[in-house]
Amino acid sequence: MQNKLSFHQSSASLEIIGLPDYSNNENNDQISIISQWKLNIVDKPLIEGKIEHLGPIMDAFYIYSNLLIKNEIPIYESKLIDIKADNLNIHNIVLKSSKPNVKPLVLKIGNALLSDTINCFDQLNESPKVRIKKTDIITKNSKKLRFGLNNKVKLLNFFIPPFIAICSLILFSSYFIYFNSPFENIEKKELNKS
Amino acid sequence: MLLILETIDLNGIQSLYSLSNRLNLNNVLPNKVTIWKLRNNNPLRKSYVTNNIKLKEFDALIRITVEMSKYLYPYIREILKSKEDIEEDSVIWNDFNKRFIELINERFNIDSMRVKKLLNQAENEETIIKSLLILSFCISNQGYQKLKNFLYDF
Repeated sequence: MQNKLSFHQSSASLEIIGLPDYSNNENNDQISIISQWKLNIVDKPLIEGKIEHLGPIMDAFYIYSNLLIKNEIPIYESKLIDIKADNLNIHNIVLKSSKPNVKPLVLKIGNALLSDTINCFDQLNESPKVRIKKTDIITKNSKKLRFGLNNKVKLLNFFIPPFIAICSLILFSSYFIYFNSPFENIEKKELNKS
Repeated sequence: MLLILETIDLNGIQSLYSLSNRLNLNNVLPNKVTIWKLRNNNPLRKSYVTNNIKLKEFDALIRITVEMSKYLYPYIREILKSKEDIEEDSVIWNDFNKRFIELINERFNIDSMRVKKLLNQAENEETIIKSLLILSFCISNQGYQKLKNFLYDF
């Protein structure tokens, strides 16, 4: 008997069918060996496939959604799936079958359905009951983040106080150049006496 | 982002404060004034002040934004959906845009060129849609991390 897990978000639902890995002492309700998955979007044809297709499709949606909001050209193309923006509100998805002589499936979805689908994938990624190779696209820190605020604050705290101290020491000590040195005067007097 | 959420939730300021209590952020955001002061770090605001926002305050604002997006997701979704049908009269979108412009007029420095762009209904569309999309993508448990990444890349 196979396990079935569903993730719903408004007009989209993702169904995962598979078995637990008993050799790994997993619970009966766990899914580690995925045999099939189905993505059902209201008013759109059913999308289904094998485990090897799920990861690339999820990655495609995540990469595309990132491009969409980062002011970059929102186009994603691969052997399995193409996603392009018709305009800011409509997205064109082309799913290519791995079987020969099967026409690609073309879907047009709006922003609402796109965010529903992304949220279904998020739920799957966060589910403790399904063990899949988790995508790191969503949680991967950007370069800007890694070298951003955190490090900036630490670096500033580390370098600025000694820098200011050295600068003020130089400024302060440079004023003494213009003052008479008492030792110099004493030396001159002693020289005159002798 | 917070102004977009406030456009949807008429009682936005109170909701933000209630959420900060629920998320146990009282030590960082003890009252509504603190939230207001932090929001004044936005240079586009009329009452802009440089307060040097701290990292924990920035994190707290992200947490309440994500939490509020979760509650308002059905509304965010409907606003996005109403913009999709070009032929249909997008009443929800128009209402949302109108209120957004009202809030911008009330809170932001309208002499700024960037604010003027936000006030123009023809030009603010892209900014609003992208902001709504960011909020709608960040309603999961990992939403905090996602929003943080989006904001740094924005």
